[in-house]
Amino acid sequence: MVRRTFWAILGRILFGLAVFLVLAGVLIPYLWMVSGSFKTTLEIQSADVLKPELSPRWFPRKFTWENYLRVNRTVRMLDYFRNSIIISVGTMVFSVGISLFAAYALSRFTFSWKRMYTLAVLSTQMFPGISFLIPYFMMFVLIKHYLGLPMQNTYWGMIFTYTSFALPFSILMLRNFLDSIPREIDEQAQIDGCTPAGALLRVILPLAKPGIAAVGIYSFIMAWNEVLFATVLTGRETKTVALGLLEYITAQQARWAGMMAACILVSIPVLVLFSLMQRYIIEGLVAGATKG
Amino acid sequence: MSSQARGRRAFKFILPALLCMLFVHIIPIFWGAYIAFIDLDIYTITRWMQAPFVGLRNFFTVFSPATDVGVRYLRSIWNVVYFGLITIPAGYFIGLLVALLLNRKFFGRTLVRGLILLPYITPDSVAYNVWRFIFQARIGIVNKYLLALGLIEEPIIWLVGDRAIYAVMIASVWKGWPFACLVLLAGLQSIPQELYEAAKIDGASSFGLFRFVTFPMLRPVSATLLLLSAIWNFHAFNQFYILLGADPGKTHVPSTFILQEAFTNFHFGQGAAMSVFLTVVVLLMTVAILRVRRRGEEW
Repeated sequence: MVRRTFWAILGRILFGLAVFLVLAGVLIPYLWMVSGSFKTTLEIQSADVLKPELSPRWFPRKFTWENYLRVNRTVRMLDYFRNSIIISVGTMVFSVGISLFAAYALSRFTFSWKRMYTLAVLSTQMFPGISFLIPYFMMFVLIKHYLGLPMQNTYWGMIFTYTSFALPFSILMLRNFLDSIPREIDEQAQIDGCTPAGALLRVILPLAKPGIAAVGIYSFIMAWNEVLFATVLTGRETKTVALGLLEYITAQQARWAGMMAACILVSIPVLVLFSLMQRYIIEGLVAGATKG
Repeated sequence: MSSQARGRRAFKFILPALLCMLFVHIIPIFWGAYIAFIDLDIYTITRWMQAPFVGLRNFFTVFSPATDVGVRYLRSIWNVVYFGLITIPAGYFIGLLVALLLNRKFFGRTLVRGLILLPYITPDSVAYNVWRFIFQARIGIVNKYLLALGLIEEPIIWLVGDRAIYAVMIASVWKGWPFACLVLLAGLQSIPQELYEAAKIDGASSFGLFRFVTFPMLRPVSATLLLLSAIWNFHAFNQFYILLGADPGKTHVPSTFILQEAFTNFHFGQGAAMSVFLTVVVLLMTVAILRVRRRGEEW
């Protein structure tokens, strides 16, 4: 009996230790980020791992809010925030609107090219961005050249690009969500005289709110985080926060403290939005990896 | 309703999505294949139809171990393969261990599950910039603790040279394992409890339970997860670009190298040839994954 409780207690301690180690591994970079964001630039610049008295510390020697208050001083971070918000919200709106109709068709209609289209949507998710970046950039150049319509370094160019990136996941996830809403509901609406589009907008839309919110948030986050296309297609007027962060480190100066504060500010919208719809987004992502 | 009318009705609903796919994915992929066969640079880009057709020359150049571009491209392919060979199994095993750990009930489980998702949902640009800070030679904590433990005498320069790829691997595994964990946890929870009870009645040890119940039941989900990771491995860009900068020397991966060749050196034709090769590789792997899935349905 005593022996049994001994092993049980030891097991619990080991288990707790394991959980603690996992959490420590996850959280250490965040703690370092937060700690760095409250240090002075001078403290970070003068740190030196070889000198014990200057070794980098977890607690700032001199605690300061400067990095947050002056986030816009060296890097035009507020402009980048505005650009990212415009591009991400635009992407969210268009991606939800477009994917809702496509997902409804996939969920409710039967048509001969359904399987082929679903396969095509699935496979567009597989291609790395670099495999179409060059021709896509050329397309932007040529549209400007022949039609006089600027695409590069414009909000709509970026919104169109990111909407298309967000669509495959959005369509498949919304389709799964709509599949869970009983068909009888839209059949009833159609008996009452709604067209399919009317049934979708008046009856199904309110029921699909959680799915729509999840897709919208996914699209927002995707546009907020994208780096590769942003490096080529954005310019001074449309640069997003993801690229703006890189400006804190130049060949002349490394402003780590400012960068850590900006990192926190950039993460906040993503973390807040994600936690709002966590369950639905995760279900969708897991299904995407396991079912398709 | 006739099947044609049905097709037309569906088409109306899907049209906007189709147009996006057409302009962002389909046209660029075929056009890219065409660009790979012409000699396109910054001067000919607006007169692309007059750019000289060079046949397979771009492909020969980028795959030739005799040219500078070829050497660097082949090395970048090797880098991304090596990167995947280490990070995918590492992420999978950490994910599996933690999933097994979190699959039991304990106080605070929901909180712990939420916290381990943090790396996965943190924007790449934030996570990798923080790791860049952590890996700094003189002011970073990695060197601080390695020195304190006496493992090194001098601060190591992590982000330049031969060690750079390992720094990127560490940061990527940190960012990537929660996804594997999430998928495997979902897999674990779909295993019927009766299987465990039946195995216990048959006298299985706890290792036996894992070996003969958990592991086989996780096989389909593991197969898709690993194949998907292998495909997504070719997407590797953010971690290299952010941690190592636009020109990481010998630590290029295809995405960073093509970006540099096309948009810094303006070798669009060669860049497109390199992209086409990646597209073909990914296409073949996608076909493989669809086959595995179909087989999974038949089981």
